[in-house]
Amino acid sequence: MNAPVWSALREHRHLLVPAALVAILLAVAAVRVPQLFTGSGLAGAVLVAAPLILAAMAITPIALAGRGGVDLSIGPAIGFVNVTLVTWLVSLGVEHPLAVFAYAVLAGCLWQAALAALIVYVRISPIIASLAGFMILQGVNLVILPRPGGIAPDWLSDWGYGTTLFGPVLGVLIAAFVLWFGFTRTALFAHLQLVGADERTAYTAGIDVNAVRFAAHLVAGVLLGLAAICQTGLIGSGDPSQGNTLTLQAITALVLGGTSLAGGRGGASGSVLGAIAMYLVFVVLSSFNFGAVSGFMTQMSYGLILVLSLLLSLVVGRGRGRGADSASVSRTPRSAVPNVAGAAP
Amino acid sequence: MKAFGPGSRSRRAILLPERRGVLLGALLLLTLCAAGTVLVEGFASANNLRSVLLLAAFLGLAALGQTAVALVGALDLSIPFVIGASNILLAWLFATELPALVCIGLIALLGAAIGALNAVLGYRLQGQSLIVTLGVGFAVVGAAQIFTTLGSEYSGTVFSQVPAWFANLASISGRTFGLPLPPLVLIWALVACSAIFVINRTRRGREIHAIGGNRAAAARLSISEFRVWLSVHVLSGLMAAFTGMLLLGFSGGGFVGVGDAYLFTTVAAVVVGGTSLLGGHGGYGATVIGVLVLQVLTSLLVGLGLDYAAQQTVFGLLILPMVALYARTPHVRTQI
Repeated sequence: MNAPVWSALREHRHLLVPAALVAILLAVAAVRVPQLFTGSGLAGAVLVAAPLILAAMAITPIALAGRGGVDLSIGPAIGFVNVTLVTWLVSLGVEHPLAVFAYAVLAGCLWQAALAALIVYVRISPIIASLAGFMILQGVNLVILPRPGGIAPDWLSDWGYGTTLFGPVLGVLIAAFVLWFGFTRTALFAHLQLVGADERTAYTAGIDVNAVRFAAHLVAGVLLGLAAICQTGLIGSGDPSQGNTLTLQAITALVLGGTSLAGGRGGASGSVLGAIAMYLVFVVLSSFNFGAVSGFMTQMSYGLILVLSLLLSLVVGRGRGRGADSASVSRTPRSAVPNVAGAAP
Repeated sequence: MKAFGPGSRSRRAILLPERRGVLLGALLLLTLCAAGTVLVEGFASANNLRSVLLLAAFLGLAALGQTAVALVGALDLSIPFVIGASNILLAWLFATELPALVCIGLIALLGAAIGALNAVLGYRLQGQSLIVTLGVGFAVVGAAQIFTTLGSEYSGTVFSQVPAWFANLASISGRTFGLPLPPLVLIWALVACSAIFVINRTRRGREIHAIGGNRAAAARLSISEFRVWLSVHVLSGLMAAFTGMLLLGFSGGGFVGVGDAYLFTTVAAVVVGGTSLLGGHGGYGATVIGVLVLQVLTSLLVGLGLDYAAQQTVFGLLILPMVALYARTPHVRTQI
């Protein structure tokens, strides 16, 4: 009876820090911002937090795949779907929800497939590929839509009122959770964890490492498309300039959620908790009257919480074996790779 | 060991990935200069050359720290935030009664301290150290803005009088010993020469390559991983602080967003030059070429009438083939 509970607890140990953080923040929010817990308060919260939650979920499988794979291009990629949606699609008269969803998910998948091809076939390291992608899309977005503007399809901009909790945004979020839950039940997910934890072992065990990496990016692409839809619904128009902020916030949420950038450890539930924690920090800090410095307070708190949660996860993870494992996993490829590279030519 | 040593004249040595990178970068730089001279009127003028060199000096100083950190296989994402924070803090300090040199010294100390903080916090978390630096950067820039905003109605911008000699250092109209070239360009050249010498020729510098190349082997050679890790991060914080201060001399007014452009451009300069982000390969000479390539390319694109957005795209498109040519990750089957 006890054994499965313990093993489940140990498997999800990375969730301890973000869950505690969210619990503390919820308690503070209950005192400071009671209106958050009303129907419309929650509806607004879901609306505002959804793009970040989905963006953080989107970069999770890529981080799980290892090789220091953090997708810097996530912000501009969401921006790209956002601006093309309000310019190209609307000017073509394509406004049917199904068509818009299909376009967003397809565009997200195509972008992620391109990144995966660069990483898998050209063998460019993930961080450089996504850095180049960040710069390319950042520019392309500004060329397509030089300044914020454009109008989202009516049904989508109606989301922005956020009047009911059980609206379409919550539906999209639940769909994303179901999708992720299904993904974690597949053998593919187990392979992804193995590839991320130790690519050499996975390769020698006969796992098609490249296919797994591609699949991780495609899952990311679907979630990216959903994030872009929610972002468009939230702002009701197109905004090419949000890439930088969204990328940094999504990475912060990912790391707050206990997913290791070294690969193999973590999951989307952590990223969701991380994104919720970031939203709650923002809400709680807004309830204090900091005046001109409130924006800076939020930024500073994000930074401090990020560093503290990383340090805490180090302490928590060090319990039995696990921490030592992850430390050696994160070191070994780094030292081994250049060594081989130096000998090869 | 000898064939790959720093002083090697071996024919194979020129084919090392980092040498190939430098060679390709130099070729690209020459091509860009030639293209600029032909395509853009006034490209080869003294005025344009001066502004390219000056902007390259800022990027080059900021990218020195990034290069050192990349050589041990990490990235420092706190650089733009330290640049912004030191920029407004120096402006704020200039408004007090303190002597200018004391102000500069204080900010330099602060930069080094932030670098040390990055190193200490990130040491046990090396796979994720870029996130540690990002978090420290957020905290630093937030704190700096709160500090300078208290008791002022302008947020994010600080007004004060910059000493004339300091402004002369880094402004476009600055003069070096009567020559119409900002002293900063000369300073950068000196810093670059000494950095290349230290990294390539001294024991301490080679230790950086050793740690980045193979930590286990470096440990057997009694090289302290922590000391190297600490020194590259302190260097990075210090250089970012100097860049931020010099940018105040350039612009004349403190602005916290001044560092934002350096978040990814320092990484791009390191990568285009040919330093591997996996650690162990490359050096500051490569980054100098990377910096010059980026700045000459910017100048060329501006001359051709492309705006900032299009420049970003071109930068991104440039990184991919450069990396594909000389910094590919080895296939997993070669690592077993």
